[in-house]
Amino acid sequence: MRKFRQPLMIALMTLLLSFIAPFAQAATTDEKTYQIATDITFAPFEFQETNGEYVGIDIDLLNAIAEDQGFKVEIKPLGFNAAVQALESKQVDGVIAGMSITDERKNKFDFSDPYFDSGVVMAVKEGNDEIKEYKDLKGKKVAVKTGTEGASFATSIKDKYGFKIVTFDDSANMYDDVKTGNSTAVFDDYPVLAYGANQGNGLELVTEKESGGSYGFAVSKGQNPELIQQFNEGLSNLKESGEYDKILDTYLSAPKSDEDKGVIGLIKSSYPSLLKGLGMTLMLTVVSLIIASILGIVFGLCRVAKNKALNMLGSIYVDIFRGTPLIVQAFFFYFGVPAALDFRISAITAGLLTLSLNAGAYMAEIVRGGIESVDKGQMEAARSLGLPYKKAMAKVVLPQAITLMIPSFINQFIITLKDTSILSIIGINELTQSGKIIIARNLESFNMWLIVGLMYFIIIMILTKVSQRLERRIQNGKA
Amino acid sequence: MAKLKVNQLKKSYGSLEVLKGIDLEVQEGEVVCLIGPSGSGKSTLLRCMNLLEEVNGGEVMIDHTLLTDKKVNINKVRENIGMVFQHFNLFPHLSVLDNITLSPIELKKNTKAEAKEIALKLLDRVGLADKANARPAQLSGGQKQRVAIARALAMNPDIMLFDEPTSALDPEMVGEVLAVIQQLATEGMTMVIVTHEMGFAREVANQVIFMDGGLVVEKGTPAEVFTNPTHPRTQDFLDKVL
Ligand SMILES: Nc1ncnc2c1ncn2[C@@H]1O[C@H](COP(=O)(O)OP(=O)(O)O)[C@@H](O)[C@H]1O
Ligand SMILES: [Mg+2]
Repeated sequence: MRKFRQPLMIALMTLLLSFIAPFAQAATTDEKTYQIATDITFAPFEFQETNGEYVGIDIDLLNAIAEDQGFKVEIKPLGFNAAVQALESKQVDGVIAGMSITDERKNKFDFSDPYFDSGVVMAVKEGNDEIKEYKDLKGKKVAVKTGTEGASFATSIKDKYGFKIVTFDDSANMYDDVKTGNSTAVFDDYPVLAYGANQGNGLELVTEKESGGSYGFAVSKGQNPELIQQFNEGLSNLKESGEYDKILDTYLSAPKSDEDKGVIGLIKSSYPSLLKGLGMTLMLTVVSLIIASILGIVFGLCRVAKNKALNMLGSIYVDIFRGTPLIVQAFFFYFGVPAALDFRISAITAGLLTLSLNAGAYMAEIVRGGIESVDKGQMEAARSLGLPYKKAMAKVVLPQAITLMIPSFINQFIITLKDTSILSIIGINELTQSGKIIIARNLESFNMWLIVGLMYFIIIMILTKVSQRLERRIQNGKA
Repeated sequence: MAKLKVNQLKKSYGSLEVLKGIDLEVQEGEVVCLIGPSGSGKSTLLRCMNLLEEVNGGEVMIDHTLLTDKKVNINKVRENIGMVFQHFNLFPHLSVLDNITLSPIELKKNTKAEAKEIALKLLDRVGLADKANARPAQLSGGQKQRVAIARALAMNPDIMLFDEPTSALDPEMVGEVLAVIQQLATEGMTMVIVTHEMGFAREVANQVIFMDGGLVVEKGTPAEVFTNPTHPRTQDFLDKVL
């Protein structure tokens, strides 16, 4: 038993720490630091520079206002939908994400004065001469991004002009859909499309700007009124000083980026972010698998226990976590539970919780299978010597079961490693998310997803080989 | 007073009644051989004697302890009853030595050093002193069964139960295992042995019990049962196996 104790302690400590960490942070943080969620893929309002730093009109404005008004902000790039949900569930204090001020949103949020007047334009693939006005869209597909003004504008005219709408969560995917020809055109906010075309994203603008709404900074209704007030004051100060125009110019009249967009160039420019993402992916995998192993042994033992209540408990746990999609579990722990019980949880804690519980359910089945494939005579021989059930299990059955479990365990390791990519959806900066963020900047989705995919592949191959060697060594040792 | 007493013992698997009311007594130092056709309930009866099987009715009594009483700590009782299985059931992940010392150490019967010393003596006694560090997989069937016997003896039991200890062995290895059991008999160990080795039973048993269909059909000294069986079913069975 002694061999098991140390990793067990470490795992428990990690589990504990990951729960305490967010609270500890909240306790020591200066009261004036606001957590502001933003999008990850909305250039020129927010995007990540090659060095990993977030920049853009929203980011620069917010930082300038914070400085002007003397408060601090912590910017959390979560993605637009996740940012809005995070604000609704009060996980963050505010959202600045190129968000249009609409009546519907005003029901839930309090908005600042508008800080940018937007408008919708239509763009098509560069060199497409067939589409010049809305009429030409008859029978075609049009790409829009969820919740944007482009989406509402397109919806409002789609019947009149007879086109279909395809909805995306992510600007990069939306542009790709047009570039690959799936969709004929895209409706998006003027500054975004103008910037993208300027950066050489392969699209060209074909219509004049439809005068549209304005972007505002939002807080939860009735929360942080002082923040809105400070934002408004800071904004008017910046407009007066000319800093506001300077920030806009920086992005809207940006020269074409001269980043090398070949695979090698992309690897060179993006490897620091990708490696960081990979580190997070591995951390999530290892920590959650350690916790999952403990859960798996506990609930796996419940599953083979004679006691009906324990047995039921094990089945319920396994059924719930195998019977629901991981992504729903992640949303539940990150948005659902904290909103219902009114507390905050960091994305990483929620992610670890989700992965651990999910993998734990599969581990429980692996443990049960392992135990059941140990010859019944082993338990009987141990019991006939006077060993109590628990000792017989721990000393005789489990050690043999674990050897039998190794191949399934390796398999689960690989599955969990791949599952971490789903946590990009709650804004955890793991490998997939790093890829998304880089693509938001350079719009090189084919090459970047190729690179990201290769990184997963290589890591999984290495782990598989190492594990196979380990497996062989353990089995040889046994014989 | 009998060392081991079974009284109207009943056992069913679902609707299948396997033991239909067994009565028997084993005296201190006595060797009892259980014989009978396959499926007659011999293994089940043996496994009821240390409660590896749940009993549905009747009593099992060892010394003054009523095993079938729910208040009895069965783990404590089992420490006193060694059991040897047809398929050895050695622990494959442990060395021969660790197989033997596991329960004395875990149950705090001996210190590690004592347990090791005892184990080595026992291995010597079953003729396997040189195999202490081997893994079970490296042993022949006969060697495995001798280790299994040593493992059971390490708890220093009063009673030993054997369930067809030589049935899974190649013929040339049967002798070495029977020799060890015979040695135990001469040392006065109380034993219940399920066996198909009639010659061995005749030689070492004080009492032979013939079972058929979940009932004790006939019991007596080897001479009585083997030479002058009173029941036709006994005669029938002996005709087939002898
Ligand atoms: N675990 C079990 N479940 C159901 N039936 C069993 C079980 N064990 C034994 N039996 C049945 O009980 C009867 C007696 O078995 P057993 O005691 O092994 O006989 P023997 O050892 O004399 O050959 C057989 O009919 C057998 O099929
Ligand atoms: Mg049998």
